[in-house]
Amino acid sequence: MIGFLVTLLAVFVFVGLRSGPLAPIPITVSTVENRSISPALFGVGTVQARYTYKIGPTAVGRVKSVFVQVGSPVKAGQLLGEMDPIDLDDRIGALDAALLRAQSTALVAEAQVQEVSARKRFAEAQLQRYEKLWADSVVSKEAVEIKRQEQQIAEAGLHAARANLEASRHEHLRTRAERNGLTQQRHNLRLIAPVAGLVSLRAADPGTTVIAGQSVIEIIDPISLWIHVRFDQLRAAGLKEGLPAQIVSRSSSEKSIPGRIARIELLADAVTEESLAKVVFATLPNPLPPIGELAEVTVALPPTAARPVISNASVQQRHGQLGVWVVTEDRLRFAPVKLGATDLDGRVQILEGLKSGERIVVHSQRPLETHSRFSVVNRLPGITP
Amino acid sequence: MISLAGRDILHSWGKFVFTGIGLGLLIGVTLTMAGVYRGMVDDAKALLDNSGADLWVVQQDTLGPYAEPSSLYDDSYRGILTLNGVEQAANITYLTMQVRPAKDQRTAKDVRAMVVGTPPGRSGEPGQPKHLIAGRHITRNHYEAVADLASGFDLGDRIVIRRNEYRVVGLTRRMVSSGGDPMIFIPLQDAQEAQFLKDNDAILRQRARTAENPTLNRPGVLDAVIASQSVNPFVNAVLVRIKPGHDPERVAESIRRWKRLTVYTRIQMEDILIAKLIATSSRQIGMFLVILAIVSAAIVAFIIYTLTMGKIREIAVLKLIGTKNRTISGMILQQAIGLGLIGFVVGKVSATLWAPIFPKYVLLEFGDAARGFVAVIVICVLASILAIRAALKVDPAEAISG
Amino acid sequence: MDRYNQGIRIEGLKKRYGTGDTAVDALKGVDMQVAPGEVIGLIGPSGSGKSTLLKCLGAIIDPSAGRMTLGEQIIYEDAWKIPDLCALRRDKIGFVFQAPYLIPFLDVTDNVALLPMLAGRSNRESRQRAMALLEALDVAHRAKAMPSQLSGGEQQRVAIARALVNRPPIILADEPTAPLDSERALTVIHLLEEMAAQFSTAIIVVTHDEKIIPTFKRIYSIRDGRTHEEQIKTHP
Repeated sequence: MIGFLVTLLAVFVFVGLRSGPLAPIPITVSTVENRSISPALFGVGTVQARYTYKIGPTAVGRVKSVFVQVGSPVKAGQLLGEMDPIDLDDRIGALDAALLRAQSTALVAEAQVQEVSARKRFAEAQLQRYEKLWADSVVSKEAVEIKRQEQQIAEAGLHAARANLEASRHEHLRTRAERNGLTQQRHNLRLIAPVAGLVSLRAADPGTTVIAGQSVIEIIDPISLWIHVRFDQLRAAGLKEGLPAQIVSRSSSEKSIPGRIARIELLADAVTEESLAKVVFATLPNPLPPIGELAEVTVALPPTAARPVISNASVQQRHGQLGVWVVTEDRLRFAPVKLGATDLDGRVQILEGLKSGERIVVHSQRPLETHSRFSVVNRLPGITP
Repeated sequence: MISLAGRDILHSWGKFVFTGIGLGLLIGVTLTMAGVYRGMVDDAKALLDNSGADLWVVQQDTLGPYAEPSSLYDDSYRGILTLNGVEQAANITYLTMQVRPAKDQRTAKDVRAMVVGTPPGRSGEPGQPKHLIAGRHITRNHYEAVADLASGFDLGDRIVIRRNEYRVVGLTRRMVSSGGDPMIFIPLQDAQEAQFLKDNDAILRQRARTAENPTLNRPGVLDAVIASQSVNPFVNAVLVRIKPGHDPERVAESIRRWKRLTVYTRIQMEDILIAKLIATSSRQIGMFLVILAIVSAAIVAFIIYTLTMGKIREIAVLKLIGTKNRTISGMILQQAIGLGLIGFVVGKVSATLWAPIFPKYVLLEFGDAARGFVAVIVICVLASILAIRAALKVDPAEAISG
Repeated sequence: MDRYNQGIRIEGLKKRYGTGDTAVDALKGVDMQVAPGEVIGLIGPSGSGKSTLLKCLGAIIDPSAGRMTLGEQIIYEDAWKIPDLCALRRDKIGFVFQAPYLIPFLDVTDNVALLPMLAGRSNRESRQRAMALLEALDVAHRAKAMPSQLSGGEQQRVAIARALVNRPPIILADEPTAPLDSERALTVIHLLEEMAAQFSTAIIVVTHDEKIIPTFKRIYSIRDGRTHEEQIKTHP
């Protein structure tokens, strides 16, 4: 009986001290070391093509034929497809006929000039003759006047015939120019690849009506694939062109491909508070990642100088101050700190407030206060190794 | 003078101890019930404490973000930061949902959790997990998570939230929602996506719906509309910490006035959570606790009375041979108190041992235990009065036959 | 000095139960005296007032009228003259019952030592006294046993030791031999006589056991609430 009571009391006291407010709080500690850390930036981006060529008609029309499929490689100048000319060919034919007609009209005008020239020469000769005859008073003045008038009429006629000839020649030129114009348009209905590349989009199939400016086929240059990445502005300090990066695309998440930053965009995203950058592959992966696929990019920034480094789990906020709990013998002290660079593994440099060699609290079972009783353990209860 | 109570107990100690243990278990249940109630209130308070906020800014005219849904633009915090007295303002999203481990993980169970979205890397801002029990805080702005121990996830586990996989990089303790669901922290953008971007099927249907609308299905317009449908600029609340020395209510009032948003101080949030959200459950438990206490008291009284009645012949003999009433009363009283002590110790120990097994938090407060102790002793004393009265009424002459 | 001045003397003891029409006079005027060291018998049929008389003598109930004297002290004269009846029973009156009625959770020594402890004596002295009596009654070898481990006869002897331990001037024995056979009955009576002589105690034995009645030197018979003294032949 006494034994039972003693055991009971012992258990009671044990339970009282081990749990509840009297129990010491288990904590894990680490020692502050001077190290340099390699900060890295992490961002998520989408694969894009640097140049996308959108090929389409310059006027409303109907697609007549498309000769390529998505993924087909094309050469510069290759015919990709055609728009339906509709009545364009007939109109060119009409203009051809008009052209011939203009030629004939020009010939007619030339013949007319010749005819009127002949008439004018005769009228001039007649005039001379009658003037001589009048000088000899063989004919009357009136007859001379009549001949003079005929000569003048013939001259005017010649002018007219000449002008007619000019007009018919201009008409010919005009018709020819019109025909050339329509022929150009006819050529425009042919969709030609401006550069060599891969077809990335076949937007309209034969029979579809498209408006001016709408693309029927899009071509990208596969060599020009890059990743449009967004980095959180808060940690984007040190982002520069040329920094090396590791790229992990969503579909092949085990492989990491090296690359580098090709460009930092001047315009950041004000709404999402992110900086934008373009990252290129060092060597293009095979097969090519689909355009629009997500990729995670980690950019390695240059390593910093050696400074006291702690895990970011140690950083606490207390009474409006950021700081760290320092363990000295068996007491706790809250040391306010100023934080520096961080790396992606949670290490953060301390600019002010801690020295190398100090022991600090990393994890604690419960929130700490300066008067808390604590016990240092390797691992907090409940955490599996 | 020997202790009659002690001798009696020693002589039939098995029965006494057995009774004490039975009583103890009953007391343990009562203490645990009180602990369940305290745990519920503590869950609510933990939620508010752990957020580290002095003010909660939510959608106008809602009781959000915990009691009601609330949506505000995620750039509202910039305007709030500029107000006098505001030290820090941080966006936060909350979504209670099922979180499951990624397919190849060893833990197969999915868990009901409150997914909290906070901007990563901002140590010490309101809304961030406070102290970790393992691992580190989130550093990348996508696809990392800090989970509470109660979720059952471990460091290095990969979990799936909506369409993305997250790797658990840190663990916390007692970071729970007011309903006791464990919290899982992920970067804000991922959380915004999780909250408003639906699964692929629904997205496809939405796109098809948009394409059917002739006003929207125009070249160039359709793509722009679909793109705008895929972004989510909303958060559930902005948590504000005020500069020391400023009055929370004054700062709240200025936010209300100039930003036309609803703002709650810590006291008001507590009132909302405790008085509104958990009120019914806590009353439920409170009533049960009262009934349990009454039943316990009745059983204690019954036990002590029965123990005394079993000794009625001895009591008569004692009275006859000249034992004072005071001595006999003392014996009964001591036994009652002894029983109560054993019962209380057994009860406290068993409550402490089985409290961690409960699925929700059970908080055994020292004050409750002290009150329980006093109550047990008082009940034992009162119960013994009943037995003492019976004992004193015994006629010593019953010992003499005929 | 009159021997009876040391023992117990009862004069005109009356006891009425109830009031008015339903009143019953259990004792109608009892006279009795017992000298120290004397063992007398009290016999009578049931309903004769035997137990009532015993209860009055034992200060368990209040008599209605009369006088009771213990040694030099008048303990009752139409009203109790002793303020603490409990102490009276403890110190001045010893009880032996039909059954031993030992306290089951006290060992033999403590069962006997309880009474002196209640009277205020130290534990050591009380146990010493108890041991002395247990030796006198030849049960000292069972001093550490619990009552349940004793035989009936041993228990009865312990009960007698308990009755004697405070050296009361009077012992009331209520049918102490009823459950016993004649040999044991006589043993008990002899034991009582021995103790009475050794400690100068007056012992009143209430009995209707035919076996032991012849052993008493004096007998009171009680009938209808009154006692009559009867002398039996004196022992040689």
